[in-house]
Amino acid sequence: MKDMLPAYAAGSLSGADRDRVRAHVAGCPRCRADLAGWQAIADAAPPGTSIPDPGQVVRAVLTRSAIEGSTGGLSRRRLRHLAALVLAEARLIRLAVPIASALVMALGVVLVLLQAATSGATAEDAVTAAFDAGGSAGLVLALIAPIIAAAGVAGTYRSRHDPVAELVAATPASSRLLLLVRITLVFGYDLALAVAASVVLTATDAAGTTSLNALVAAWLGPMALLSSVSLLIAVQFGPDVALGVAAGLWAIRVLSGSVLTRDAWPTRFVVDAWSTNTAVLVASAGLAAAAVILAGRVSGEPHHGRRATHPL
Amino acid sequence: MARRPEPGSDEDLLRSIAAGDATALSRLYERHAGALFGYLHRLAGDRMTAEEILQDTMLAIWRSAGAFESRAKVTTWLFGVARRQAHNRLRVRPGPQPTATELSDRPDQGAGPEELAIAAAGGTPVAAAIDLLPDHHRDVIALVFVAGLPLADVAEVLAIPIGTVKSRLFHARAAVAAALVAQEVPE
Repeated sequence: MKDMLPAYAAGSLSGADRDRVRAHVAGCPRCRADLAGWQAIADAAPPGTSIPDPGQVVRAVLTRSAIEGSTGGLSRRRLRHLAALVLAEARLIRLAVPIASALVMALGVVLVLLQAATSGATAEDAVTAAFDAGGSAGLVLALIAPIIAAAGVAGTYRSRHDPVAELVAATPASSRLLLLVRITLVFGYDLALAVAASVVLTATDAAGTTSLNALVAAWLGPMALLSSVSLLIAVQFGPDVALGVAAGLWAIRVLSGSVLTRDAWPTRFVVDAWSTNTAVLVASAGLAAAAVILAGRVSGEPHHGRRATHPL
Repeated sequence: MARRPEPGSDEDLLRSIAAGDATALSRLYERHAGALFGYLHRLAGDRMTAEEILQDTMLAIWRSAGAFESRAKVTTWLFGVARRQAHNRLRVRPGPQPTATELSDRPDQGAGPEELAIAAAGGTPVAAAIDLLPDHHRDVIALVFVAGLPLADVAEVLAIPIGTVKSRLFHARAAVAAALVAQEVPE
């Protein structure tokens, strides 16, 4: 009987045993006293702290398993873990962001379609109408696609105040992997949006004489460049600064194309810088790589063990 | 032929985890993290170390869920994993082999005056006394009272006979009582 008292105090006895003990203790003062001691230990033993947030722990586990493979190299298990990580990160993205991006892109497409419809109706020369439409389709996409992507990408680098980054920043590799996964998701999504918009415009002939390739070329370079600049600034200075800089840079580009004098060399330089060519694409890749490398370092504090302080 | 696990049971979750289902890992965590983390916290002494060990444990579960054989209970397997991870982090050697004195010197299981004083002492002194216990005593106390494992399961996790579990419990209680007397808590 005395043997069962600790388990009774712990609440781990099965029903029949529990009833037997309860019945016995009711009539036995010695055992009652004994039980009280066990109960005091049972009450004092649990530390009573709350568990770490499940989402954070699971994400940290997924990231670590994708990096620290138990077998070397790209085993199938690591790929499956990587896929689980990508899925988990995708679920993290606030729904408002992809929806907003899609809506803005859709708005742009609608504007071009409207313009094609109206200019088609008023222009006398079909060729001129087609040419105008092509130019405007390219222009609209070239103006909105980059800023959508840059804004999305700026949000992917969450600073040291991100609890997930805290937990995961055990190694620089895991911070970088996490960032890579996020920017692939966001930029990939925005890229798909822009391609879809281009396809729609080409298919409905709203783009006029512009081929799909030419239409994509109108926005691809600027999108890559603005996004990579945004990412680098986000890693170094934070997502808010990155968003501000991207918006500012883009405002200058938009103004250069319309309000400011077209022929002055600064505006021509600005417009040329934001175009699609090898130099621009290479520069974008370089900036993005620098950002990812920096992301591992910026966390700053020692790799192993936890940080000394928790963010508020 | 292995019998199919009940849907939603711990075994079922482990099976899903072995197949790479992260949601199942999350559900298993939500079910058992309270007991696991409390145990690890008691064992490690501070919250931060316990969090690290908990993460190591979940990672080990994620990777080795496929190695679980349905012969054991899931909970005993989980705590076995947790204990191994704790030993890795804390560099605690596995509990000392029960010495001859421990086995033969079963304390009088009746409650002496010191043991009765435990009930009177109240929460904080008792918790402090538990913290001062040697590792193998704290281990047993944590498994029985924090994790709430039945004694048979505790014996399985620690890989010792159930009789040794009981005697360790009683020794632990005696040690807590002695520590309380030594503290001489002023009123």
